Amino acid sequence: MDFAILSAVTFTPLVGAILILLIKMLTGAQVRADGSEDERVMYAGLLFSIATFLISIVMFLSFDQSASGYQLVEEMNWFQGIQYKMGVDGMSVLLILLTTLLTPIALIASIGSIKHRLTEYVVSFLVLETFMIGVFCALDLVVFYVFFEAGLIPMFIIIGVWGGVDRIYASFKFFLYTLLGSLFMLAAVVYMYLTAGTSDIALLETFSFDKGAQTWLWLAFFASFAVKLPMWPVHTWLPDAHVQAPTAGSVILAGILLKMGGYGFLRFSLPMFPDASVLFQPFVFTISVIAIVYASLVAWRQTDMKKLIAYSSVAHMGFVTLGIFSFTEIGVQGAVFQMLSHGLISGALFLIVGVVYDRMHTRDISAYGGLVHRMPVYATLFMLFTMANVGLPGTSGFVGEILTMVGAFQANTWAAAGAALGVIFSAVYMLTLYRRTVFGEITNPELENIQDVNIKELICLIPLAIGTILLGILPNLIFDITRESSLNALAQVAGG
Amino acid sequence: MLSDNFITFIVLGPGLAALIAGLFQRFIGDRGAMVVTTGTVGLAGLFSIYQLFVYASGAGGAGHVEHASLAADTGHAADYVGQHVIKLMTWIDVGQFQADWAIRVDALSIVMMAVITSVSGLVHLYSWGYMEDDPHKARFFSYLSLFTFTMLMLVTADNFIQLFFGWEGVGLASYLLIGFWYQNKAPNDAAIKAFVTNRVGDFGLALGIMAIFLVFGSVELEPVLSAVKENAELVPLALAEAGHVREIVVPFLAWNIPALELIGVLLFIGAMGKSAQFFLHVWLPDAMEGPTPVSALIHAATMVTAGVYLVCLVSPIYEYAPAAAAMITVVGAVTALYAATVGMAQNDIKRVIAYSTCSQLGYMFFAAGVGAYEAAMFHLFTHAFFKALLFLGAGSVIHGAHHEQDMRKMGGFARYMPLTYGAMMIGTIAIIGLGLPHVWGLSGFFSKDAIIETAFAGGMNGVPYAQMAFWFGLAAALLTSFYSWRLVYMTFHGPRAEVDHAHHDDAHGEDDHGHDHHHGDPHESPLVMLIPLGVLSIGAVFAGWYFYDAFVGHDYKAFWDGAIYAAKENTVLKDKYNVPEWVFWAPLVVTVTGFVLATFTYLFNRGVGERIAKSGGPLHSLFANKWYFDEIYNATLVKGSAWLGNTFWKGDKKVVDGIGPDGVAAVVRWGAKRLSAMHTGYLYHYAFVIIGAALIFGAVLFWRSGGAG
Repeated sequence: MDFAILSAVTFTPLVGAILILLIKMLTGAQVRADGSEDERVMYAGLLFSIATFLISIVMFLSFDQSASGYQLVEEMNWFQGIQYKMGVDGMSVLLILLTTLLTPIALIASIGSIKHRLTEYVVSFLVLETFMIGVFCALDLVVFYVFFEAGLIPMFIIIGVWGGVDRIYASFKFFLYTLLGSLFMLAAVVYMYLTAGTSDIALLETFSFDKGAQTWLWLAFFASFAVKLPMWPVHTWLPDAHVQAPTAGSVILAGILLKMGGYGFLRFSLPMFPDASVLFQPFVFTISVIAIVYASLVAWRQTDMKKLIAYSSVAHMGFVTLGIFSFTEIGVQGAVFQMLSHGLISGALFLIVGVVYDRMHTRDISAYGGLVHRMPVYATLFMLFTMANVGLPGTSGFVGEILTMVGAFQANTWAAAGAALGVIFSAVYMLTLYRRTVFGEITNPELENIQDVNIKELICLIPLAIGTILLGILPNLIFDITRESSLNALAQVAGG
Repeated sequence: MLSDNFITFIVLGPGLAALIAGLFQRFIGDRGAMVVTTGTVGLAGLFSIYQLFVYASGAGGAGHVEHASLAADTGHAADYVGQHVIKLMTWIDVGQFQADWAIRVDALSIVMMAVITSVSGLVHLYSWGYMEDDPHKARFFSYLSLFTFTMLMLVTADNFIQLFFGWEGVGLASYLLIGFWYQNKAPNDAAIKAFVTNRVGDFGLALGIMAIFLVFGSVELEPVLSAVKENAELVPLALAEAGHVREIVVPFLAWNIPALELIGVLLFIGAMGKSAQFFLHVWLPDAMEGPTPVSALIHAATMVTAGVYLVCLVSPIYEYAPAAAAMITVVGAVTALYAATVGMAQNDIKRVIAYSTCSQLGYMFFAAGVGAYEAAMFHLFTHAFFKALLFLGAGSVIHGAHHEQDMRKMGGFARYMPLTYGAMMIGTIAIIGLGLPHVWGLSGFFSKDAIIETAFAGGMNGVPYAQMAFWFGLAAALLTSFYSWRLVYMTFHGPRAEVDHAHHDDAHGEDDHGHDHHHGDPHESPLVMLIPLGVLSIGAVFAGWYFYDAFVGHDYKAFWDGAIYAAKENTVLKDKYNVPEWVFWAPLVVTVTGFVLATFTYLFNRGVGERIAKSGGPLHSLFANKWYFDEIYNATLVKGSAWLGNTFWKGDKKVVDGIGPDGVAAVVRWGAKRLSAMHTGYLYHYAFVIIGAALIFGAVLFWRSGGAG
């Protein structure tokens, strides 16, 4: 085995977190009189997350796009035949890249806006990064489960400690929902290990469970993934979590944590329980379309910027499930693309909200208006991401939406028509938001002296803007990488 | 034929110019942005016009098109003659779903490129004068060029996805330009209304494209259209039965519909949105909130004709989708008449012309509906010149009248702005279609009469609703003449109205921006605005006469060269020569009637029109209030969705959370209180949450799986 690059990517942030804690223990806490902390710890954390990003680039370069199956595999016996096994395919390689890209951005965005318990904050993010990457490269069911569940804890802490006024309620709700989903998955994991005699994901993908068992296993996994994604009606934790979470927390939550649900469907539900997946297709379609229409309408009625974008996330994730359960190559490719694209766009939108929140300390839409007169660059970037979220062709938002709908149309025209209805509403809520915050005259006197985006914020937003447009114009950069893994996810459904 | 490099420049140049003007305005300044955009688009305009003339003379003069020149320089065997595709890049390539970034040149796109770039170039130039005092010139010119680019991408797409890119791209540009004066409420409202109404249309278009992919397994124009022409045997994807394409039936929602009818109707819904046809027309009059050059370019000459272009582009589909074609005929005819009735009762000079645009688009659609796609394209072509002329003329009036748009406050302007008056007269005579049958007339005469004649010919051939379209078209022609002359008389003739200065400022928020209001006599516009009027006047006078034979006359087959397809049974274009003599004369009669009526009410007896308006008869109220469409939509669609949104939101809070986490939490709190009496510590608390919630969740899952099965 060559250099264990996947482990390197996964554990670099964790090592960083441990080092930061050690240094802090050795040097003693540098807490100032006002309770704020030395910001150098933030830069130390940033250093490690950037190192992780660079290593992940190396990983990406050593990944062979044309080959099928898992690559860069690392295997080590753990216990009881359970392996510590890591490996990636096209889909997970890109999700890892998304993770390693968004984490430094999230940390940069936090500079200056987080003042208390900085060390713990940075450590939480680094630990979270390790767990997220681990989820995407785990090739053993048990390893996957450990990472999948462990990710809960740092996010719980991030919301609960650095969140807004109602952070305790929100973090509790978040924890409750996701944990309960996970319990069923744990039972399923145990059952699968006992029945198949292995927890190796690659082997499980070819193992055929009998139909009755598949139904229950599918439902158990579904409970967990549906909460994570989130699907209607178990989505209500998301708006609260987003509203209370600090900006960086929202970026990671929307950008990556939600994608674990979609990833789970593709990695487990489709290949391992193909019959059950087919059985539940109408059910998934129904709640996906409900999610799209329902969440879009609710988003329109919001007065809180973050809540609006949170509901918009629910709607956009509806496209992901729609695409996955169309069981077509186009739909699945579209769904994977939609996940990546939404990671960029929603991350950017939460940063956009964060920019004005840092200045005004309110997310209330009615407190704004006329920002364009003081913040032209901000207005331009906001417009770009608004249009991307609306799914304008030429941005990445369009490609994912159209492909998932085309896929769904082949399976069920009702689903496609319902989803297309959501596309209309997305224009309504996003343009209304934009108009009420950015256009018009300045009515709130506090806005008179508001500053345009600074260098720090540009460093966060520009990469996402470039990504959004680049993927909108040349989406094939992605499709060439995800083709094999998408086909692999479909192999059992289509074949069986 | 231009070489690939020139064509690529025509299409991509404006996009590049928009980028430069938009991103680098700080470095090049307003003047730099104006020079770059105007220069690029102007150059593209010259190239495209040259291309059109060369192409048309090749078709008309020699009697045949040099196919070789079109197909040869690609080296790839064009499946239908007269098409030449320049592939730029692969865009989306997933399974069978393949879409390139490409530039397709055929007769249709040559015509459209000429219209778009020439009008756009003139509008760019005109804006130098019109937007002179605006503080955001670089942004304005960047948007104008962006629009030009996306519109060109639309008409040169070789697949439906790039077409959709252009389609929504022009929607974006339109949104940005309608709301250009973003500090005011009205432009913002209008911009969102335009975008959302267009999205309703795009909903249809997107579903139409999905249906196309389902049936044909491709979203590229060429394979789809030739499959229809050849009635190829196809094996559609999942949902439909294999068979000959014209007989394939697909399930859509609750119905089983012939595939081509389904695709036809869905695509037409898209066209209705973009081209402001009946039911989806509500955004166009409001779009007049944008600067007037924008109205001329986007909401008159080019973008709103994209729907007509789309219908003509997929003519093979409509040839074998009689019900969809009939729908186009009816909607087009109704729009033509409806918009004309509303146009008679408007007092805002721009809104009159906006409704006039709506009405003229109706003509184009019913022409396409009865099968005379060539006539539709011809009217699109000539209309672009005289309608842009009318709008820029109106802009010149507004500019000269210190941003007054209410015609009741005008009058007698002819002596203050004689050149604008002359241009408006030419535009008016062109749009009412004045001309002597069999002899000569202005542009509108050739194209509109061709439509009316083909509609009648269609009626003779038994094309459904063609007869109705003919009568509606004739009636609309009468109204067109009436409202056009009404506009001229109210603005330019009679005594000058007493201008109420106090009222003036809040009357219309629109063109009110950063201008120093030097009230006084209206004045003629600067040269930079008059030159475009002059050029467009030439087009309005001669375009119809010059291109008649090529577009719809004896050379039409050679000119269109396969870009427009007609089934064997469809002979309306030839039959228009065989209609009874009175049909040729009828438009002239109604036009003169409209002229006489308008002259009587608004020139010789200026009070009559006002008295009609003041008396408030039910018919006048209906027309003046646009048949109450806005009110009805507001009360039903807007209020309805808002109510749904609120209800769902409450549902989230009360139902979902109430049963879910909050309910669980309540149970836990209750339980914890009991338990904490016996135990201390959090472990129990925690375990209880898990067990209790697991039970509830299990029950929910069980119920759901039962519901799903």
